[in-house]
Amino acid sequence: MTTTEMRLATEAAEPRRVPGQPDMWVFVLVEALIFTSYFCVYLFSRTQHEQAFLQSQSHLILWLGVLDTIVLLTSSWSVARCVQHSRAGRYREAKHAALLTTGLGLLFLVQKIFEWTALIHRGHTFTSSEFFQHFFFLTGMHCLHLLIGFFVLGLLYLQLADPRKRSQETVETCATYWHTVDFLWVLIFALLYVVR
Amino acid sequence: MKGVFDKRRLIAWLLLVAITLLYPLIDHAADKNGTLTASTFLTVAAICLACVKLRVIFREFMEVRSAPALLCRITDLWVVLIASVLIATYLAGRAVA
Amino acid sequence: MTLTDWWDSPKRELWFVWYATIVFYSLYGFVFFVVTRTQPPGKPWLNPDEVVNWFAGRHDGLLIGFGLIFSLGGLSATAIALITYSIRRMSVSRAYAYSYLLLYGVSAVPGFLFICVAMTAGAMRPDRDPALQQWLYDLGFLSFAGTMGVFFIGSLIWMAAVLLDTNGVFPKWFGYLNLCNALTEVVTGAAWIFDRGAFAWNGAIVWWIDVAVWVPYTVVFIHLLRQVILRDDFGTGRLPELPPTEPVRRAREEALVP
Repeated sequence: MTTTEMRLATEAAEPRRVPGQPDMWVFVLVEALIFTSYFCVYLFSRTQHEQAFLQSQSHLILWLGVLDTIVLLTSSWSVARCVQHSRAGRYREAKHAALLTTGLGLLFLVQKIFEWTALIHRGHTFTSSEFFQHFFFLTGMHCLHLLIGFFVLGLLYLQLADPRKRSQETVETCATYWHTVDFLWVLIFALLYVVR
Repeated sequence: MKGVFDKRRLIAWLLLVAITLLYPLIDHAADKNGTLTASTFLTVAAICLACVKLRVIFREFMEVRSAPALLCRITDLWVVLIASVLIATYLAGRAVA
Repeated sequence: MTLTDWWDSPKRELWFVWYATIVFYSLYGFVFFVVTRTQPPGKPWLNPDEVVNWFAGRHDGLLIGFGLIFSLGGLSATAIALITYSIRRMSVSRAYAYSYLLLYGVSAVPGFLFICVAMTAGAMRPDRDPALQQWLYDLGFLSFAGTMGVFFIGSLIWMAAVLLDTNGVFPKWFGYLNLCNALTEVVTGAAWIFDRGAFAWNGAIVWWIDVAVWVPYTVVFIHLLRQVILRDDFGTGRLPELPPTEPVRRAREEALVP
């Protein structure tokens, strides 16, 4: 058998399962819908005040947004690796991956605070324009999810650190939450930084 | 098998980063002389690219690929729903503006 | 079930409280949306004379509707009591139940009392100084839309209890739904800053999306509370599951036939 045939055979043989608690997916899907409704309000407002929104948006730095996105995508990659290691019983590597994820999350937070501070110094605040109302609201709400994400990552780390408490289901559920933080940002970035 | 999963995940990450780097490219292509202008093409492209990334994250990072078919279909439906609703809102907004 | 069976049932009080919960939420919706027409909320940007007209157009509805709420508003305690009871039934510390009860014990104040008092005061003397009428209007709507702190923390406590519970009182997805609901309530504070747009007290984000999430959430928890009562065995261990419904039972039997 070739490597590809072996891989396909293994995949076919493994029973399909939802990683972590299936219930967490209710949160993932409902939260995606709620954010989509916030995005719709933003997009509609945008179309009604096109020039004003474009004018405000020009103060954002696209590359900062790109960097933020790459940082979070990498953190998603590292938490997925963490789950793989944990599943295979490689807890030391899993803990390293979890720490990397947390570090990247913190980097994202620092970048965001830096960006907000810079914008506020230049007079762009929550109340200065309609675009920035939505900007600070969406990035702020996302940040709240990120902060909850740190708590969730802490829970994940505890699972890995203590052999008595270890629950693979909890590890995977925590990872699913973190991926949600990532994909919400993917959407927010596209809508705030790129969309015209 | 570990190597196979790792490689697949790494490719997924590379793809996601590549799509992210596409944004500044299409962004510059749409702007005239450095001033921002409204662009339906850019908006629709940005939303579609974001939803492609969303699907990759669902399938590769969140392991929906190896999840029961129901979850595969629901997440695909969600991606299509989000893209459609966002694009429809934008187009409807432009129509009534 | 005959009336005597129902009367003798040990779950009699639980059922009474559950039906009272339905009555309260129905009354709440009917009074706010139909009788008083205070929801969806009035526009924050009305000037004092427009506010006077707003009160005039709703004069009788405000006095009758909120009069009903003042008389029967105590029914709001039924849902709180039932939820507290269900948290007590969980395997988690009783502190969760008591925190929830204490928090929600004051929830009626921002939940409806403030707006009822402000609006009935406004309706009572139509010839009052328009600036004062506007003040009452602002107080009513701001206190209603912008004070979600109690509900936000309460949702988080309930969420934590559900996720940590090993007695299976509520399904875990409901715990996560509590988080979704709580997060929509965080945004309402923006109503204190904006008097128009998506973040005003009548805005798309502060009101419409918030309500669009809260209504299904309420329907879901009322249904789950019913399930808890049906399953309750007055014990302290894992709550037994309900027997399968007839179609499910038949399907399972058919699956076993060779």
